[in-house]
Amino acid sequence: MVGETLIPTLLTIAWLLPLLGFAVEMLYGRKGERTTTKWPAWCAVACIGTGFLCSLIALLTWGQATGWAVLESHDLHGPDQHHSEDDPHHHGDSPKHQASTNESGWQMTALTATENSDDAEHVPFPSVYSGTLYTLGVFGSLVVSIDYYIDSLTLVMFTMVTLIATCIHLFAMGYMSDELTNEYVDHFAHTSDGKHVHRPGRFYRFFAYMSLFCFSMLGLVLAGNIFQVFVFWELVGICSYLLIGFYTERKSAGDAANKAFIMNRIGDFGFLIGLMVVWTWFGTFQFSELFDSLPRDATGHIVTNDLGEVAVSTHSGESRSIPYSLLVVAGLGVFAGCIGKSAQFPLQTWLPDAMEGPTPVSALVHSATMVAAGVYLVGRFYPMFVPEVLLTIAYIGAITLFLAATIAVVATDIKRVLAYSTISQLGYMMLGLGVFGWAAGLFHLITHAFFKSLMFLCSGSVIHGCHHEQEMPKMGGLMRKMPITAGTMLIGVIAISGLAVPGLIAFSGYHSKDAIVATALAFIQANPAHFLLFLLPLLTAGITAFYMFRLWFYTFFGEPRDQHIYDHAHESPWIMTAPLLVLAVFAAGCAIGGEKGMLYMMLLGSEPVHVANGVPAATVGELVLPGHSAIHDVHAKAGMWALLAAISGTLLAYVLYGTKTVNLSDMKRQLAGIHQFLSEKWYFDELYHALFMKPVHQVAALFAWIDRTMIDRVVHASAGLMVKISKWDRFFDETFVDGLVNLIARATFSSGILLKAVQTGRLRQYVMFIVVGVVALFAVLFTTFPN
Amino acid sequence: MFSQLIQNLIDDTLKYSLGYFEAELWLCATIVALLLFRLISVDRLIPTSILALTGAIVATVVAWFQLTTTDGSETFFTGMLIHDQFSVYFRLFLSLFLALTIALTILTGIPDNEDSPDFYALLLGATVGMMIMATANNLLMLFIGVEMASVPSYAMVGFLKGRRASSEAALKYVVYGAGAAGVMLYGISLIAGMLGTGDMSLLADRLRIVADNGVAGLGDPEVRLVALGTMLVMVGLAFKLSLVPFHFWCPDAFEGASAEVGGFLSVASKAGAFGLLVRFLVAFSGDPSGAELMTAFGIGLGVVAMVTMTFGNLAAYGQSNIKRMLAYSTIAHAGYMLMAVSAMLVMQNSAHAGDLGQEINACLGGLLYYLAVYLFMNLGAFAVVALIRNYTFSEEIDSYAGLIRQSPALCVCMVFCMISLVGIPPFGGFFAKLMIFGSVYKAGDFHWSMYVLLAVGIVNTVISLFYYLRVLKTMIIYDRPADARAVRLPNLENVYVGLLGAFVLLLGCAPFIADGLNVIAGEAAGSIFSAIVTSR
Repeated sequence: MVGETLIPTLLTIAWLLPLLGFAVEMLYGRKGERTTTKWPAWCAVACIGTGFLCSLIALLTWGQATGWAVLESHDLHGPDQHHSEDDPHHHGDSPKHQASTNESGWQMTALTATENSDDAEHVPFPSVYSGTLYTLGVFGSLVVSIDYYIDSLTLVMFTMVTLIATCIHLFAMGYMSDELTNEYVDHFAHTSDGKHVHRPGRFYRFFAYMSLFCFSMLGLVLAGNIFQVFVFWELVGICSYLLIGFYTERKSAGDAANKAFIMNRIGDFGFLIGLMVVWTWFGTFQFSELFDSLPRDATGHIVTNDLGEVAVSTHSGESRSIPYSLLVVAGLGVFAGCIGKSAQFPLQTWLPDAMEGPTPVSALVHSATMVAAGVYLVGRFYPMFVPEVLLTIAYIGAITLFLAATIAVVATDIKRVLAYSTISQLGYMMLGLGVFGWAAGLFHLITHAFFKSLMFLCSGSVIHGCHHEQEMPKMGGLMRKMPITAGTMLIGVIAISGLAVPGLIAFSGYHSKDAIVATALAFIQANPAHFLLFLLPLLTAGITAFYMFRLWFYTFFGEPRDQHIYDHAHESPWIMTAPLLVLAVFAAGCAIGGEKGMLYMMLLGSEPVHVANGVPAATVGELVLPGHSAIHDVHAKAGMWALLAAISGTLLAYVLYGTKTVNLSDMKRQLAGIHQFLSEKWYFDELYHALFMKPVHQVAALFAWIDRTMIDRVVHASAGLMVKISKWDRFFDETFVDGLVNLIARATFSSGILLKAVQTGRLRQYVMFIVVGVVALFAVLFTTFPN
Repeated sequence: MFSQLIQNLIDDTLKYSLGYFEAELWLCATIVALLLFRLISVDRLIPTSILALTGAIVATVVAWFQLTTTDGSETFFTGMLIHDQFSVYFRLFLSLFLALTIALTILTGIPDNEDSPDFYALLLGATVGMMIMATANNLLMLFIGVEMASVPSYAMVGFLKGRRASSEAALKYVVYGAGAAGVMLYGISLIAGMLGTGDMSLLADRLRIVADNGVAGLGDPEVRLVALGTMLVMVGLAFKLSLVPFHFWCPDAFEGASAEVGGFLSVASKAGAFGLLVRFLVAFSGDPSGAELMTAFGIGLGVVAMVTMTFGNLAAYGQSNIKRMLAYSTIAHAGYMLMAVSAMLVMQNSAHAGDLGQEINACLGGLLYYLAVYLFMNLGAFAVVALIRNYTFSEEIDSYAGLIRQSPALCVCMVFCMISLVGIPPFGGFFAKLMIFGSVYKAGDFHWSMYVLLAVGIVNTVISLFYYLRVLKTMIIYDRPADARAVRLPNLENVYVGLLGAFVLLLGCAPFIADGLNVIAGEAAGSIFSAIVTSR
């Protein structure tokens, strides 16, 4: 099969090109000159653009190789049909899988094709290409290697990331152009004497970091084992750190970078625990081997024995029992990493602060790709999650999406609104994955990436046009000054709000949010106790529409509130607006066809097999997980509810901010309590400050006091003692040791002089010595040697 | 019948013996040519030194070819001499050294035109004698070899006729040598008389026959006489090796002789004597009957080695004349090398000798390696002394102050040689010493005294550092006094000392050269033992 070598090669090229770009951008050029050339930007664009072409070709090759079967074969109408007609891969399955899945029709389809090329002929789809690019080291049974694991999800992610990154790189070329100088004046950073900071521009460095980020992100997506994911996980983390703190002279930027980094470490600690469990009990990090090892019965349920242990067969062939609780720990551990990376409750506070970075960074790293990596990993690692973990994921997602949306309602900084919106939308994705809507969650990941990066770029365009003004209350009426930005932003806002005319026109967000809400509805119908998991997203759908339109009305609609800013505002140059138009097209149309559309079908092709039919009669945790058919049944109802919520939110926003019928400041006064609560972000920062930072500070102060008063005293006393001992030791050394050494030296030297004296120069004496010598030697021989 | 015998002898001589004796014959021919040319005044056309150098080089080349072709061992000249890798190794070693020494004399010009045929004839004659020492297979040849090497040496020491010190040194050397030769000759007559043969390969067998119950003990009068004879022969060799207490001639002779002669004697005559000592002792070894006796001799040699190196090193401390200091240094180095012989004897006569072939071989291999390295480092040191003397007319250590600023190449060579003499890596001296110490350590498994020997050897290495470094300190750290004569060497002399210094370094840190030498030395050492085994 052509794809077997071509696709990994193409994706590897796409992955490594930005690394090359990074090296070139960092090292090339002479000091002084390179700060003023656009060359590094073109280099970065070329790298990531070529990467996009490679990804696109890989995607098309994959489609050709599988005959686009993925777009036809999956069916939403129930398990019966699925069983009878739609299971071509069943017949060609390798004996290995037959054995491990107990005669059931539920094959691990996602894993079959590559391991054995014979099988590939019989299994038209879905195809997984997995293999090893390079083995870094072998430590006992632990193999650390650079692997790839390519299925349709990987391909879609690659194409999405490279496309968005290309657009953002182009946009950034315009946005960052004021850095193209040797004398950049940072108006937000002050030196100690109150002046603005002057520094050389960092244009090339920005693009170098961006290239490094692209490399890391693509490596994360391509990774074929969980350890490799972790490595690139940390790499994107450090890129994020570097880019948030890009304006390193601003204290707020430095603090935000630190905050992001530290918050992520908390999550990564859990990730490491998960990795340890996985390694200890499964003996491998490889996805392709891991996903095989968990046994599931015909209903997709994980098989446990009487002791509550799960019998798995490790890749080395031996089988062992894993306590069920450890599976929960492993799942929660890995998910903890995702919480940190995707800014989920309770680690959500770093993302709004991360907006200190340049806006293209917010668009690429902190909305479209890196923060979505957490969601991606949950999707990738999905087969390893047990129902308890899924429920946790769902609740975390639900809490996050509601919490962030409420804060967004009162935020006035245009980028912060978008940041909270991002958190909220990431919560939607997590919720979708948690309630067994695997494809729904990832569907939303892709659509969100498009419309959110679009909106961030629009906000960037606004900020650029308004000379770095980010406060919405100072804007207004900008539609007349920057029509393209306003228009594309409106597309994004409609997309995220989920507004549509059903059956006629619908943007991408409508489809993906519908899918999630429908899954949630099906879930609570099966498990009524968890009704919040439907109620919160539904409510939040309305809030989302409200705050997004609030943003749009505030910024572009009505009369200018600050005449000075309005007068100087201008539309951005083509290099910034062109990416907006491209992204607007995708934000509107990428999900065309909804759940029968190409994007959704592509994702569905990689869905873990046990998801499709759900887990109807669960024994563990009393949880019933809905299958495709159950979701399909409630789809129309859920969609209607969601649309209703969105429309009411939109209308409310129009009434409040589009028309002048309500006095906003009056309202703010009346709702001062709740406004204050939301403005202070539910007091999370204060809570964490009181809960963690203050105690740490106090404990640290206590230790400092102990250090100073007790330990230091002991140290000083012992130091004084040591000095006294040393003095005495020196005396000892100088008189006795040195004396001894000198004595020996003198003794040897004088013995030498003495021996010299034997050499008298008298011949008679010499000859005498021959005689004496012979006689003496003979005497010695006779006295010592026995008879 | 007598004519038949004569005919056989002639056949044997012409067909085999002369072929094995080729290198020596070339040297003899050179001597004849040297003397003859002066008679007919050809020496004015062809410089005698060039002629002598040519002869030495030809002998070196011949010996090199012998090295590649020789396999096994064979006696020639009716059993008087023996031809094996060991002989060839010494032949090559001595002729190479001869060539280097002649080259040095050409550079320093020590024999003037008038005297040079005599000087080179003596030099070549002594070398032939040393070659015979290393190839001797008969007690008679042992004595002839020693005397052939000694007599020209006496003359060479006194060659600086105008200097009183030189004549005095020669006289001391002659008298001392005569005494030692008398003692040795007495020992030879005792052995030959008691065992009824002069053939060294038969000595061990005869000793077993002579001994009561097949075990040689000193209670047996015959064995006692043989032991006495053996010891007296070794005293004669100890004189050549300048072992304590038979070393008294050495400092005086070296101080009186020119540095070139000193260099020659310190290396060549010592090498020949070691070859002879090994042959003589190996002839007695390996038979169970004499094992106990020979072990005692081995330990005795160990004791002598300890005393010798300690004495040499301590006495070198107080010397102000560099040649005297180097004389004591050669005494100490003879002690180091004697350690290898001692360890060899102890191992070869232990109960496990059969399993120790490799280790015994390594003892001798270490000795041969040491000799080869010693050639370069000692000749280098003496060459530096000779070259400096030509400029400053002084051989006092103090007169070397600050030479690094005037002739760096010379000083670098001296640094290499001295540090190698101490035995510090990466120079050849370190590895040579390491091999010998390693062998002694192995021998410690069979007699505890070897550990003592090793410890004394190590301590001596440490204390020897002092006087070598004193010279280097004087040369490098001190300032050159303003009134001191300048030493500015021409290129050729720089190349010469540079070459010697380079070899000292390469033998330590160039694996292909060091390994090559190691292999050759090992093969040469192996041949002497295989010959013993096959003859029994």
